[in-house]
Amino acid sequence: MNPLFLLIPIVLPIFGGLALLIRPVENDIKRRILCEAVACVTSACVWAAALWMPHRPVTVYSFTRGFAVNFGVDGMANVFAVMISIMWPLVLLYAFEYMKGDEGSNRFFAFYVMTYGVTLGVCYSADMITMYVFIEMLTLVTIPLVTHYGGHESMFAGRKYAAYTIGGASLGFMAVVLTTMYGMDGIFRYGGSIFEVLDSGTMQLAFVLGFIGFGAKAAVFPLHDWLPTASVAPTPVTALLHAVAVVNSGVFAVMRMTYYVFGADYLRGTAAQAICLSLAIFSLLFGAVQALRERHFKRRLAYSTMSNLSYMLLAAMCMTPQGLKAGLAHMVFHGVIKICLFMCAGAFIHRARKAYIYEINGIGRRMPDTFAAYTLCALSLTGIPPLCGFVSKWQLLTAGMDAATEAAAGGAAGGTVSAILPYILFAGVAALIIAAFLCAMYSINISIRAFFPVEEKDLYKDSDVKEAGPLMLIPIYVFAACNILAGMFPGPILEILTAIGEGRL
Amino acid sequence: MLIAMVVFGPFIGAAAAAAIGKRNEKAGEYAALFVTAVVLGLTLVLAGAAGLSLIIPGILSGSGLTFCVTGFRAVYAVITAIMWVGTTLFSPEYFAHEKENLGRYKFFVLFTLGAVEGVMLSADLMTAFVFFEVLSLTSFTWVIHEETWAAIRAGYTYLFVAVIGGLLLFMGLVLLEHAAGTLSFAELSTALQGKGASADSLAQPQVLAAGILILLGFGAKAGMFPLHIWLPKAHPAAPSPASALLSGILTKVGVYGILMTALYVLAGDYRFGLIVLAAGLITMLLGAVLALFSINLKRTLACSSMSQIGFILTGIAVTVLMGAVGEEEAVMTALSGTVQHMINHSLLKLTLFMCAGVVVMNLHTLTLDEIRGWGRNKTALKIAFALGGLGISGVPLFNGYISKTLLHEGIVEAIHVMREAQESSLVTISATTAGNIANLLQVGEWIFLFSGGLTFAYMCKLFFCIFVEKNRDADVQEKFDSSGRCMNGVSTAAILGSSLFMVILGAPPVTKRLLYFATGSGHILEFAAFTPENMKGSAISLAIGAAVYLLVVKRVLYREDSYVNLWPERLDLEEGLYRPALTKWIPGVLIAVASVFGENKVLAPVCRRGLAAAQSAAAVFGEDKVLTPVCVYGLKLFQSVCYAVSISTDSLILTLRHSVFREKKVRRAGVGRMSRMRMLREGTAEAVRPILRNFTFALLMTCLGILVILGVLLIAIVKINP
Repeated sequence: MNPLFLLIPIVLPIFGGLALLIRPVENDIKRRILCEAVACVTSACVWAAALWMPHRPVTVYSFTRGFAVNFGVDGMANVFAVMISIMWPLVLLYAFEYMKGDEGSNRFFAFYVMTYGVTLGVCYSADMITMYVFIEMLTLVTIPLVTHYGGHESMFAGRKYAAYTIGGASLGFMAVVLTTMYGMDGIFRYGGSIFEVLDSGTMQLAFVLGFIGFGAKAAVFPLHDWLPTASVAPTPVTALLHAVAVVNSGVFAVMRMTYYVFGADYLRGTAAQAICLSLAIFSLLFGAVQALRERHFKRRLAYSTMSNLSYMLLAAMCMTPQGLKAGLAHMVFHGVIKICLFMCAGAFIHRARKAYIYEINGIGRRMPDTFAAYTLCALSLTGIPPLCGFVSKWQLLTAGMDAATEAAAGGAAGGTVSAILPYILFAGVAALIIAAFLCAMYSINISIRAFFPVEEKDLYKDSDVKEAGPLMLIPIYVFAACNILAGMFPGPILEILTAIGEGRL
Repeated sequence: MLIAMVVFGPFIGAAAAAAIGKRNEKAGEYAALFVTAVVLGLTLVLAGAAGLSLIIPGILSGSGLTFCVTGFRAVYAVITAIMWVGTTLFSPEYFAHEKENLGRYKFFVLFTLGAVEGVMLSADLMTAFVFFEVLSLTSFTWVIHEETWAAIRAGYTYLFVAVIGGLLLFMGLVLLEHAAGTLSFAELSTALQGKGASADSLAQPQVLAAGILILLGFGAKAGMFPLHIWLPKAHPAAPSPASALLSGILTKVGVYGILMTALYVLAGDYRFGLIVLAAGLITMLLGAVLALFSINLKRTLACSSMSQIGFILTGIAVTVLMGAVGEEEAVMTALSGTVQHMINHSLLKLTLFMCAGVVVMNLHTLTLDEIRGWGRNKTALKIAFALGGLGISGVPLFNGYISKTLLHEGIVEAIHVMREAQESSLVTISATTAGNIANLLQVGEWIFLFSGGLTFAYMCKLFFCIFVEKNRDADVQEKFDSSGRCMNGVSTAAILGSSLFMVILGAPPVTKRLLYFATGSGHILEFAAFTPENMKGSAISLAIGAAVYLLVVKRVLYREDSYVNLWPERLDLEEGLYRPALTKWIPGVLIAVASVFGENKVLAPVCRRGLAAAQSAAAVFGEDKVLTPVCVYGLKLFQSVCYAVSISTDSLILTLRHSVFREKKVRRAGVGRMSRMRMLREGTAEAVRPILRNFTFALLMTCLGILVILGVLLIAIVKINP
């Protein structure tokens, strides 16, 4: 298969979106068909690429030596790409119903489809510079989606989002420059390609800046604040972009940088690892606590996303093959769970026109299917077997334990940092469990309220709130079913991820 | 195949029965009964097929689901099925007048049957854990069945204890898997051997930690102190058939997990034994005292369950302690007592809670004063309740006697063995430790006998109150006496049938055969139940009980013609400790920590804190005329620059918004004839505007980032080429 085939899934949605911007389609049905067709064809291309594409990078255009646009598929790219390729067409269905009657539909769907291409660009880019460009593009493309409703709050959210992520990416740019200059050529290779020219302190600084910078997209402390604010966006955006695509590109970028550019061996036992681990641990606890405090339904989920993204980064920062595997596993499974949770929240907001948790009392009777799915996903998020959240949490904990004991075994030889590292890792494992407790409290609480009104205040006894329509429910059903299926039979996925973690795929 | 039918059959059966029940209620009831009866039949067949095993690969990661049948597992599978048949027989009449949510309840009851059988037949901890979580969540619907606020609150407690227990268990399994590399019971003990901390039989710290976490996780379901808080709340709230199952079986699921951990993971570790012993003794005593003080029928029974679980845990502890010194016979005595008491308690609580159910469905109240004297003319109920009371108190000729005697003998033997070990100093355990353990066990024996006495006292309290005494209101008493049948034939049969077990299992030959089958040890067959020595323990207990009943219950807890609750309400672990800790203290601390960093508006707080830090740093230099002003003014300058930057950004955006990107009023006149070019232009402008509005600010951030990069690069280059 011609390697340039990869350009199709990246370029097709971008042009599709541009076409919709330039020639707005006023007919609802026509627009739906167009968007869905573009998304489906793109997804088909993604699957074709995953099945038949050889694993080697291709230079599309070379500006100068060491500065080129490279694309390529490998295991990690495939995992992310296939995951979002399943989600995008389904969430589009949901978006059709959610955005029905909205005046800016053309603009919304144009950018929504364009984002698909850009995210695939992040997946398929094969070197730091290309990835950086696409990460920046991703921010620019999604700003109009965040500011879609146009009110003061939305505008503020958009500005904040831009400031945080573009500002963050500019920190990441430093890692890009340094690795391109002092690495072989910045192309992703498992195990990294850093020459030991520069002293290790500067490289570690570069790594930490890159972690914070790309981590801004993954809402890692200290650049986390945009994520809850951005939940003013329409729910399809929060569900797909701020729970899966955009935030996971941040995690993806950090993982790429860690395992494919710097190399886990280069970083293991350094101060950089300790700092990044601490940041991840702090943000995962912080997110969970804030989620517990938050009264706004979507913002609570956003904080929970922040917490869960840090689980992935925590695993990735273990700098072990199991760590990468666990991080990727949580990326996939958390994506499935959280997208469903957000869609349920969106269905509630769409139908009941309410947004706060104390307004949920009793809605379960009116929207039983939505909240049954919500409950299932909430349990999964907490880590109850046999749902898929349990599988990834198990992976995370074992990876953490393994890394901690390894660090403890090797810690005697090194200096202060390697003496502290095992404790940080053990603290990470403990933090995971504490966060799971908090998660149980903030997520299951909602479904109890929905079905069994607190203090006998059923707000919806005589209301005419109806269950969400079929276009909304189908994706919810599909993802809820995925929860059970992936939880019962995680074998094949985990096998692939193990191979990726060990650099075999 | 047989195992699969027992475990997964109820899942399908539940759905089928629910579907049938939706069309025709009566048929649904028959279908449910049919499913439970079939499961009972299948488990009986299983009991004859010990050694059978089933592996379902591919489900979950790792080894998949594995099941096996051993004597003990088969016995408990049968007991589970018996419990379900009993309660299913009783349910139709109990629920005759409350149809709301009945479909949900019935579905989840049958569904839970499968999950319980799954735990009971599991051959590895992972399988047990999966089914354990399933039954934790499905049984939640029993507790909140009535959907009153009290029930929902009890449900919250139940659910959070279940979830927290589940997570503790989860962590324990992770630690154990990490240490041993397997979770299969058969492989665990060999995998852990040779991994001990030293030559003796102590496990390495990680395994011990795993064991404690698993103990807490399963203990949460078993009602072990300090996670017992759900028991006294959930039982009065749940429907009575559900209470019978919660108390009779679900607590045993927890005990089953603890027993398996004790036998396969930490068999020879006396530290684990001591922890279980402490938990068991506290649970035993606290449960009995709470039961004695309670003035609510089902609350008393719930606290009694807790107390009996304490007896069982003590048995497990003695098993572990004896394993530590390698006394096989003493191990078998304690183990037999444990298993027998588990079985007895399941069946006892089946009978007693069904009796309580009869009271509830007739009177709709559980307070002792209001139901006093009701049972004076209900002979069948009186017999059943009396049998239950005699059984649970350990009166000779009834089932509780044998198990309690076995447990007591286990403790006495253990004290004896430990005293010997103290003198002969074994390899596995030092003399001082053995002495301490012996003293502790001595205390344990007293608590054991005393709690046994309290059991008798609170059962007397219940029995005399309901079936002998007269109500303080003569009119009410008259109404009670003139009321007719309190239950229909099926329920009577179910209750009397279940109470028959008290007598059957009270016969030593039957019990011995059963235990021989369950534990596979011939040692038990030599056990003589009615020796004077054994009778003595029981007699002491009963004497204490009678004394407590006459002196405490009738004198102190019975005032002015009514039973009073003298238990101070503030001594409630949940309200006093857990709820505030979980909802206020822990989040409070985390929030306090978080708010130091959390509420960041990017630059301002950093500046402020940086300034403060710099000032304090400068203060160190004190009299330095140069450095101090530089620090202070430098940071003030930095602060002003930041302020200026943000002001200018905002003004830039404002200016742009009012000039270039000003929202133009669209002329509405000729919408139809709007030129294509203009539509294109305005469409694009509309699309691009949000980007541009945010662009300046973002651009600025980019520039700042690039400046930082350049700076660092410069440093780097200077460093390379000095």
